[in-house]
Amino acid sequence: MIISSLPILLVDLVGSILMIILAFLSLRLVFKLREQDHNNLIWTYLWWICLALSCFAVSRSAGHILKNFLFMTGQESFWAKIRPFSGAINTFMFIVVGAVTLFFERIWKIYQIVRKDRQALQLAHKDLLFLNQNLERLVEQRTNALSISEYKYRKIFEVSKDMILVTEKDGTIVNLNPSGYNLLGLDRETDKIDSRNASEFMAESEKWLDAMASLQRERSISNVELDIITSEGTVKRILLSGSMAESADNEVETIHFLVKDIEQRKRMEEQLAQADKLASIGELSSGVAHEINNPLGVMLGYTQLLLRGEKKSSERYADLKTIEKHVRSCKTIVEDLLSFSRKSETEKEMLDIHRVIDEVITFVQHHSNIEHITLEKEYSPGVKPLLIDEKKIKQVLINLVVNAIHAVEKTGHIWISTDLNQSTGDLMVKVRDDGHGIEKKHLKNIFDPFFTTKPTGEGTGLGLSVSYGIIKNHGGNIFVDSKAGVGTTFTVTLPAV
Amino acid sequence: MNSNNLGLAFFIASLTGLLLSADPVLATQTHGQPEGLYVHQMAHVFFIISMGSLEFWLRQRNLIKEKGWKYIQWSAVLFILWNINAALVHFLDEHLDILGISKIDLWHMQVESIQGQDSISLMYYLLKLDHLLCVPAMFFLYFGLKTILKNTTADNGNRVKP
Repeated sequence: MIISSLPILLVDLVGSILMIILAFLSLRLVFKLREQDHNNLIWTYLWWICLALSCFAVSRSAGHILKNFLFMTGQESFWAKIRPFSGAINTFMFIVVGAVTLFFERIWKIYQIVRKDRQALQLAHKDLLFLNQNLERLVEQRTNALSISEYKYRKIFEVSKDMILVTEKDGTIVNLNPSGYNLLGLDRETDKIDSRNASEFMAESEKWLDAMASLQRERSISNVELDIITSEGTVKRILLSGSMAESADNEVETIHFLVKDIEQRKRMEEQLAQADKLASIGELSSGVAHEINNPLGVMLGYTQLLLRGEKKSSERYADLKTIEKHVRSCKTIVEDLLSFSRKSETEKEMLDIHRVIDEVITFVQHHSNIEHITLEKEYSPGVKPLLIDEKKIKQVLINLVVNAIHAVEKTGHIWISTDLNQSTGDLMVKVRDDGHGIEKKHLKNIFDPFFTTKPTGEGTGLGLSVSYGIIKNHGGNIFVDSKAGVGTTFTVTLPAV
Repeated sequence: MNSNNLGLAFFIASLTGLLLSADPVLATQTHGQPEGLYVHQMAHVFFIISMGSLEFWLRQRNLIKEKGWKYIQWSAVLFILWNINAALVHFLDEHLDILGISKIDLWHMQVESIQGQDSISLMYYLLKLDHLLCVPAMFFLYFGLKTILKNTTADNGNRVKP
């Protein structure tokens, strides 16, 4: 079969030229790639492949072109001489291209590792650069955030109405908020509480130690009732809660206490209980007094009738007089009980309280031996007349002043003062003495009928009960503040008209 | 003298003895005419294997999803086909005595099959046009590299320099 050689010659010739051109163009492209990143292993790999392919293309194509040229010019014998050399180079280039290509997988793996490491480095570099450029601002932001946070919690500490106390495990005070200073009666400027122990302020050390033991055991305590002693020596009831916590530097454990002052609340509760109790007693007394009052009236009437028929010198007359005297005493007690139970009738009128007090003072000065007792008065200006039963209010004031005289015994001070409650307009009359005071255990009973600490026969124990009844009947209130060995203050409040 | 030095002395003595007593046949081997052809054919096989492995790894690493590498994969495939083609031509030219090829003049040639089958002659003729495979292979390589360069340049352009 005779075939035209032209297509083969043309394809061979053009193909050879194109092979060389494309090989070098590819090499140029890889060169550009390498220009962009000299350290890229893949570009280096492609560079070697293209280089090998270029050599291969040159060797093969040059051989083919030369062969065709020699054949066309009739120099076939010359080709026969250089053919082995051309073929050898061609074969060698095959092997080089193949060998370089085989490395692809290994090169790719290494490239991936390098790229990963490079990315990590770039990321780290970026972070470092960002930190470097923004460090000052970041620190400032963080400092501001910390300042705000610190301010917020400091504010809670500062403005808390309850006492916040931070101590070490042994009770040594670390920090105390302003409410704590107030509660303990301390001055923030002058009284240094650092390194003082919280137990110094506890009235009952046993209870405090129990609370601390419980705290160490269970790591927290809740609403434990304790008494504290303020710097002025007054005892206040508190509700103590606390928990153990790590300190800011995590080195030592501290205890954070929250202390609620429940003195006022307790007093209110006690007063309410007292009022309830006295109201019950008043009901009972009223019933009893009513039942006894009539028979006593009959007894007194008949005694007086019998006295009319008896000679004054007779023994029978003296006996009847004794009966009369004791019946009258009984009637007085019954009347007092009626006053206490607020069942006695009152005759109220608008009166100047200061005049009433003055008359009471004058009465007491005339009828009591108070030579060595200083009686001072201090009236609030602008007190308007009050609607009061003069006789009964005088009875109350005499009771209070006489009690004060008994409290100071031979020498001492008694102060009578008036004060207006600006918010309610009520008048407060205070009778204060620096006598022996009332023991705490007796305070809750002093308004009870027949309660007395005086020896038998020296008092009926109805004075304060009657006073209580009278003041309550006026819509007012009476309460006492006393400390044994320091003195007592009775405060009577009377409502404004 | 320790045992290591004794061993070394023995090795040198043996080697010297061997070199001095060597015949020419033992020293080198002669390479005859068909050896070059075998090596060339083996080179083609080696080229096929290396291109096949490249194609395999490009697939394995999912690089063929990228346009540039996909072109390179096609280039590898075409190179494989070209190698098969070239190896086949060499085989027909040099190994099998089934074709009689002679040059008539500069523009004509005669290809005769021993069995008288023109199809074999025609196949041989077509196989001789091997540049129709290797040139496209180079084209694909070129386009593949061009695409990679373009993408890389774009990536570098988009990257914000710190």
